[in-house]
Amino acid sequence: MIWLIKFAMGAIMPRSEMLPGIADTQLDGFLRKLRAEAEPIFWIGLVAGAVIFTFTPVLTLGWPVPAFCLSQRALDKHADRILAHRFYVVRQGVYLVRLSAGMCWGADPAVRALFALPAYPPDPGTFRTS
Amino acid sequence: MTHIAFQPRGKNVELEADYVVVGSGAGGATAAVTLARGGARVAIVEAGPWRDPNDYPSSVYGAMRDMMEAWGANFTRGRAFWPVVQGSLVGGSTVINSAICVRTPADIFEQWQREHGIGDKTFAESIWRIEDELERELCSVEVPARARGRSNLLAKQGADALGYANHYMHRYVKDCHGDGQCLQGCRADNKQSLNRNFIPEVMKRGGDVVSCAPAERIHFERARAVAVSGRFKHPQTREKGAAFSVRAKRGVVVAASVTHSPILLMRSGVRNAQLGKGFRAHPGAPVFGCYDEPVDMNRGATQGWASVAYRENPGFKLETLSLPLDMLSGRLPGAGQALMERLTEFRQIAMWVQACRAETVGEVRSTLSGKPAVHYSLNRSDMLRFREGMYMVAKTHVAAGARAVLPAIFGMPYKLMPNEIEELREAPLDPRAYVSILSHLFGGCVMGKDAAHSVCDERGLVHGYDNLVIGDASAIPTNLGVNPQHTIMALAQHFSAGLLARA
Repeated sequence: MIWLIKFAMGAIMPRSEMLPGIADTQLDGFLRKLRAEAEPIFWIGLVAGAVIFTFTPVLTLGWPVPAFCLSQRALDKHADRILAHRFYVVRQGVYLVRLSAGMCWGADPAVRALFALPAYPPDPGTFRTS
Repeated sequence: MTHIAFQPRGKNVELEADYVVVGSGAGGATAAVTLARGGARVAIVEAGPWRDPNDYPSSVYGAMRDMMEAWGANFTRGRAFWPVVQGSLVGGSTVINSAICVRTPADIFEQWQREHGIGDKTFAESIWRIEDELERELCSVEVPARARGRSNLLAKQGADALGYANHYMHRYVKDCHGDGQCLQGCRADNKQSLNRNFIPEVMKRGGDVVSCAPAERIHFERARAVAVSGRFKHPQTREKGAAFSVRAKRGVVVAASVTHSPILLMRSGVRNAQLGKGFRAHPGAPVFGCYDEPVDMNRGATQGWASVAYRENPGFKLETLSLPLDMLSGRLPGAGQALMERLTEFRQIAMWVQACRAETVGEVRSTLSGKPAVHYSLNRSDMLRFREGMYMVAKTHVAAGARAVLPAIFGMPYKLMPNEIEELREAPLDPRAYVSILSHLFGGCVMGKDAAHSVCDERGLVHGYDNLVIGDASAIPTNLGVNPQHTIMALAQHFSAGLLARA
């Protein structure tokens, strides 16, 4: 399901004139790590959010097609509208996708440099074993 | 003195101590050091791993993975799904909070006495005396000028212009340089998280720490708690390890958190209809201010300014809280090109929050898998308070010179100009319109005079047991309306000193 999450994240944080998009960051590595490390409930929520994102253009644009069939312009409109949808469960489901995308994008050294922020050192992931 | 971390399946671990303390956060660590200073041998049993500043992550991803209970993915069951944020490591939430030090307000003791029959003048004086000692010992100081950062300075400027009482925070931090990394753990080791002082002291005094060890059960012999047992859990692989059992010769202090303490007691067979009841919190939400010049909110103390001017009426507190870019980018409203355009203003954005002194009462229940679930939905009068708090934050931004405010409320425009902020007073009262978090939790094992309406008495002693004491915020029966760490630590010290004296 990683491709589906990548697709949803790419639509939520696309490249713009001023800023790199999430596709310009180490997204594949991030998602592999997330898949391996996240609590199962977190990963299930992320997959569910990506599924909701992909199959709801009917709710935002009135078009009964999956989001990957949309033009770039329509996809952008769908992304913005689904996160502001009146059904709480729908917008909250996709919220986790945006939150995770933000964790990847905002930790990218190139993105951080654009905002005069230092690059993060690696997270050691260590703990006292004795 | 021993530290025992994760042990694979095989030989079971068995220890013995005078007192076993379950949990090592603000309450547990303070209870443990109090007992150890009293000459007792103490064993601390902590569900999470022990991480030192060199182990701390830098990114939000790392903080969620390494420091938060369930990746921060616990949320309220109710009308809205609001995250319930708790630390899960040695030192508990003191590692990931802003170490804010606020004395227990006098009106809280009056309320406890009026509503729960506890907290008379002697009790209040004892707690304040302990708070005095803790302030000296853990070096509670006002955020120094060099660590204030522009976001905190702007908040002060805005509040001063509006004329309401406000201040730079007092925090347990030595020599803060304002690295803006409080929420990921202070890698500079300036924050006085309790994994850096009280817990090592317990070990120096001959105590043991068992980490990666979620307690599953307390064992009793009639009315006495005699042991705590469970099974190790690896913090990375989540693999179950060896079984452990720690025998308690003199007593057990339960400080496993507001969500876990009541569930642990239920699982251990403690019969009390009030277990899990009386859950309260400070639900908080941000309003962003957008300024002409860069604010760079991640430079300076993560939280350095506060106001309790509206704590009693209508009932909220105001604070600065700087989010890192990797959290904020998922937090601003919108998606697609609209979101990317909004993110270009990151350096100009300051985030300040209101935390509501909510009267709503929820409940902690056990799920089928035995994990805690928080059932909580803010009622209308709290939502009115909550909304007024949002308006006040916006007003302060405007007074500080913000060119726009970003309310991040469903159903409201993304941006409000200074002359439009009155619209916030008509913002929705549906909790689902807000992205809030619950960070200060109270109740679940509340103290009170009457055994029919409380779990423990004003000594923290669980009704019907001789040596089982609650040592965390789950004993607190009301919402404090201020940051609770100081009160939790003082109560834990008070209760454990009493436990020692009775032995």
